[in-house]
Amino acid sequence: MIPPAPADTLFESLPSLVRTETDPPPRIEDNEFVQVYEANFGLLVSIAVRKFQVPFGDAEGLANDVFVSYLKHRNEIRELHGWLIGAICNASRHYWRKNDRSIDQLDDEATSTQIDPVSAHVVDWLTARIAAGEALAVLSARHQRILRLRYYEGYSIPEIAEELGVTKKYAQKLVGKILRRAAEFFKASGGPMEKK
Amino acid sequence: MKHADDLDHLAGCARCRQRFAGKTLPTDSGERLARKREFIAAAARLERERNDAVDLVARHLRETPTAEWPRLAELPALRNNAALEQMSDEVRKRLHRRPTEALTIAQLSTAVAALIPDGLYPPLVLAQIRANAWKDRASALRYLARYDEALDAASIGEEHLAPFAAVEHDRAIVRMVKGMVLFQSGRFDEAGPILADCRRVFAEHHDHRRHVHSGIAEASVFYETSRYADASRVYAAVLEDAIAAGEIESQASIHNNLGYCMTHLGDYDRANIHFSEAIAKFTDLGFTAEVPRTERGAGLILVGRGQIASGLAHLRAARRDFTAAGMIEEAGLCALNIAAVLVDRGEGSEARALTQNVVDEFTAAGLDERAIAAVVRLRDAIDVEGATAETVRTVHAFVESLRDDVCCVAN
Repeated sequence: MIPPAPADTLFESLPSLVRTETDPPPRIEDNEFVQVYEANFGLLVSIAVRKFQVPFGDAEGLANDVFVSYLKHRNEIRELHGWLIGAICNASRHYWRKNDRSIDQLDDEATSTQIDPVSAHVVDWLTARIAAGEALAVLSARHQRILRLRYYEGYSIPEIAEELGVTKKYAQKLVGKILRRAAEFFKASGGPMEKK
Repeated sequence: MKHADDLDHLAGCARCRQRFAGKTLPTDSGERLARKREFIAAAARLERERNDAVDLVARHLRETPTAEWPRLAELPALRNNAALEQMSDEVRKRLHRRPTEALTIAQLSTAVAALIPDGLYPPLVLAQIRANAWKDRASALRYLARYDEALDAASIGEEHLAPFAAVEHDRAIVRMVKGMVLFQSGRFDEAGPILADCRRVFAEHHDHRRHVHSGIAEASVFYETSRYADASRVYAAVLEDAIAAGEIESQASIHNNLGYCMTHLGDYDRANIHFSEAIAKFTDLGFTAEVPRTERGAGLILVGRGQIASGLAHLRAARRDFTAAGMIEEAGLCALNIAAVLVDRGEGSEARALTQNVVDEFTAAGLDERAIAAVVRLRDAIDVEGATAETVRTVHAFVESLRDDVCCVAN
């Protein structure tokens, strides 16, 4: 990660299409926005990638858009982190709804990457290299449905537990077990599991 | 404290946020840095505009005759986000009392928003600005009961936001107006899911105020469709948020509505508790008109459900408070509500005394002579035992209709 630059430095480096000759330099309070951005950008990207399996590059775009959207609401937001987290979750769900048709295969692949959080970037290269659908095909319809709820619909573990009528702990174990099963098959078919 | 990756926990725990985010490192790609610069530039511009435009719109509206407000769209000084935010405030201030003026300003907003050059803000911000202007227009049209036009305006607002994923909060704000319009149009099947979805989005954004308002609207849909258990469930859910947010007025309204739900569900003890809570909170707020209105509503519904003693107690309290507040006409109407119950129970002498009091009060206050004459005739009919509860209700409706006539003339 690049170190956060002081606000003034950042502003000085703006391209001319953004900053006009007549624009005065930003006031000191503009630093607030830089701080909010710096302090939370990684969090929002993490949520989009790890909780919703949004591809990393797209997750960064969504996170950035959440910050831009925040600018209009900043005066009415009482709980900044709650708002930002709510916004990235909804943006991620919207992302999947909008991309439903074109990323069916990607979605299936994405579910198999959950085996290792460190492999959050995996979806970027997995699409091109692996037919993860094969890995998922070995799962039962119920297990496929659970993965779909978790990683496509964005259900939380408690929500899945409610949907299945089981305890949260069991739902958590079930998701882990399904992922391990898919990952084992995936590995056996020659797919790499980690990106270094 | 138990630490977790649960999103609700992350929102409130800095340590877990840091831990969770630490596993994903942002890239230093040119595209990301360019977006970040665009964000900072937009932030600086929006803040600068807000600081520079203090009182701008209010001043223009004050200094310009109302008929010429649409021409304000020609002013370049108003073609920015700060001015449009102020216009939105001006619309909101007028919605209840002067909805026609609110609509004129909202129309000005949409005209101005359309004139903002495309490159001035990031496309997402521009979409938010335009969507908000159309949302205000839809709200004003709703208050004027121009529902079809309101739905069209809300749809335009939604269209502006459609290309963007990160504006679900804005989308819910627009859709809430749409849901309210559908509710007021009696299209409950369409309104319910929209309002429920809005409530979910507001809850996820920790927007307690809108969560409460959308919840009240959603519960009202259930209430109107006689799903009282569902209505009370939603009311109870948003009541917690209203308490957490310290919104006393919302709490009072919710308690009042829960009182109605409980009455329909046959739980009169809890109904009374909720009505009492509502009355206490309206009293705390100094809403002198709302207290007796709540009492009267509670009284009427309890009487309607056969809880005569409890209902009469509320109606008498309402009449007393209306009188104390100098709301003579309301006090008289309330007395007629009581009289109807008394006549029905064969307690003619008390009903007669009550109607005589109404005649005296209406006469002293110089109210419409037709209303006084109607109550005099009712008193005389009670005297000769020729009045039924239906007769009293007819007189009540007549007196109330005269008040509506006056309101129409005043508008």
